[in-house]
Amino acid sequence: MLPKGFEKQLNILDFSLSSLWRRKLKNISIMLVFALVIFLLGSFQMLTGALTQSADAVLRNTPEITIQKMSAGRQEAIPLSYSEKLHSIYGIRAIIPRVWGYYFDESSLANFTIMAMDTNSMPNGNKLDLTLSYGHFPKRTEPGTTVLGRSVQEILGLGTRRIFSLFRPDLSLKSFEVVGLFSDQTDLLTNDLIVMNLDDARDLFAMEPTMATDLCIYVANPTEIETIAKKIAGLLPDTRVLTKSQIQKTYQVVFSWRSGFASICLLAALIAFVILAWDKASGLSPEEKREIGILKILGWETADILAVRFWESTLVSALAFIIGCTAAYMHVAFFDATLLKPVMVGWSVIHPPFKLLPSVKLADLLLIFSFSVLPYLGATVIPAWHCSTVPPDSVIR
Amino acid sequence: MLIELEKTTKIYNQGKPNEVTALHEVSLAVAPQTMVCLQGASGSGKSTLLAIIGCVFPPTSGRASIAGKQLSRMPDRFLTIHRRETIGFIFQQFNVLPRLSVLDNITLPLLPLGVSPQERRKRARKLMHQLAISHRENFPAGQISGGEMQRVAIARALINTQPIILADEPTAHLDTRLSMEFMKIMSDLKADGKTIIIASHDPLVSEHPAIDRIIQIKDGRIDVP
Amino acid sequence: MRPSHILFLILLFFLILDTMLYLHATRLQEALRSDHALQAIAVSGLGLADLCVATEARYTRHPAVSDAIAPFMDHPGAIEHFPSGSFWAAPADNNVR
Repeated sequence: MLPKGFEKQLNILDFSLSSLWRRKLKNISIMLVFALVIFLLGSFQMLTGALTQSADAVLRNTPEITIQKMSAGRQEAIPLSYSEKLHSIYGIRAIIPRVWGYYFDESSLANFTIMAMDTNSMPNGNKLDLTLSYGHFPKRTEPGTTVLGRSVQEILGLGTRRIFSLFRPDLSLKSFEVVGLFSDQTDLLTNDLIVMNLDDARDLFAMEPTMATDLCIYVANPTEIETIAKKIAGLLPDTRVLTKSQIQKTYQVVFSWRSGFASICLLAALIAFVILAWDKASGLSPEEKREIGILKILGWETADILAVRFWESTLVSALAFIIGCTAAYMHVAFFDATLLKPVMVGWSVIHPPFKLLPSVKLADLLLIFSFSVLPYLGATVIPAWHCSTVPPDSVIR
Repeated sequence: MLIELEKTTKIYNQGKPNEVTALHEVSLAVAPQTMVCLQGASGSGKSTLLAIIGCVFPPTSGRASIAGKQLSRMPDRFLTIHRRETIGFIFQQFNVLPRLSVLDNITLPLLPLGVSPQERRKRARKLMHQLAISHRENFPAGQISGGEMQRVAIARALINTQPIILADEPTAHLDTRLSMEFMKIMSDLKADGKTIIIASHDPLVSEHPAIDRIIQIKDGRIDVP
Repeated sequence: MRPSHILFLILLFFLILDTMLYLHATRLQEALRSDHALQAIAVSGLGLADLCVATEARYTRHPAVSDAIAPFMDHPGAIEHFPSGSFWAAPADNNVR
């Protein structure tokens, strides 16, 4: 035997559910459209959150300082002699030049990232072979050898073949031999990579031996990074000096709401939906007015009728929220974020598999809740106050 | 007296340009277990009088006492509570909710009282049996005949064992047979102890032997108290 | 059965489903731990600065190390690189100076 107050609320809940079910086509449609909007918002949030978290987890191992030479606002090759100028700065542990750039494969329209450095000088350079599913990293004594990312091997159609060629700028061909393949566990970072010797990369890009793409700087004391970075910027005014924290911060903002055109479109859809809900709720149809008049004269208080409206809106929006968020998680976790992926990778031919843990943070859920459920409740319950203006004697005529 | 009105006045939009005096110093007394027929043209104040007796709103001035409670100065919430405990309404066109089942329509007044589904079903089934509409329990109320709808409306008016029944033109859309059936049920209810006020122009109602008194209302005033 | 009971059953279904998804997430997190360890080695060993997601343009492939002009390299007014521009904000001018 339930307390009367609780039984009353259950009765009102039952009535609200029946009321929703009586117009099931309309209400289920509203709920599904609402769930779809939340699903898209939620998928976007979970996917970008997962990428940001992955970046956060692994990019803390990125070089402490990276120096790029700038000219006319664009990045260009940096002379190796610049590293001589840095010897005067106390606290620099290592300066490692790298040659890297992009190779556009015309037959497949794929962009590969070519990367070359003396891996023995890099931190964990001696462990790099662990990142391969087979083989080893190119040695200085093994010219023409490469390690490929899995998509590169697939797009070049190598199969069991080990030899392939790339074009130099003068359209002459340069041959390479595959001596290793990156593991699928590193796909998120290495999918499009072709790693080779420094000499091979310079040859491929027709770059002078005295030049590099950038310089990786490692410091003895991590707390000195900013200080040393400022000193470098002062010593080399025509360079761009990037610190590890700046690189890490990129992934906090690269999917930000303000810059995300997709999220703005979704927000616009949500606002349109809320306006529609307001329009629907603010005008009572003659049938609704009659129903309210009947309930009032039968002894229902205004508060009871408002409770029915509140429950109706809450049930529709809360169920839409639950369905939308659950579907969003499943979409990202089990279906590789199939609906968002084409927008995210754009015209890229290389499509990395998203083996990601969907980011489900309470703050994100509350954000989606505030952007979806609360406005909907506001848009439907506040105008429902109109029902308090329906006089009970309207049915006595 | 169960219903007592003394110099009851109702003014709509008081103080505004469209001010209307719907009732002017109406005095009326109705004893328990009586059946009264209220007659008046459209705009005569009949609906306003029904609304005051039905505890829908209090009078602007004067005294109105229904089932021992003074309506004047009663807050809206208490008025609603008193109404649902005291008055059973039977409307013109019955005003059932067509998409709700017959059972759900009958038990509508019980929902905000926190009555459990089992208790609601029990009370409703007893009334449905008495009114011979048990076979329509789960039918949508919009799909039953006029006569059955009439009995649903009656059952709903009785579900909370209210002592006063107010009926507003209950036979307006019924044929002679159903009108006579309706009056038969009303006279049985009167015999059971209910006090019944029926607003109607239908001679089948006003000339029925169960009617104890006819009250004429014209221009907000009544002829015979 | 009362409508509210049916609602509670639906909510219970979602509670069970979401609990299972939560357990899946916990297991996936464990599985990804070894992935992250290897990825960390790749990052430090090769000095990587970006995830390989959208390879169509410099600033989508390497947003962390692209110059601020990169999105405009085709044309001064070409701010959007549709459709991936919907996702990738143009890199900030984060020169230390």
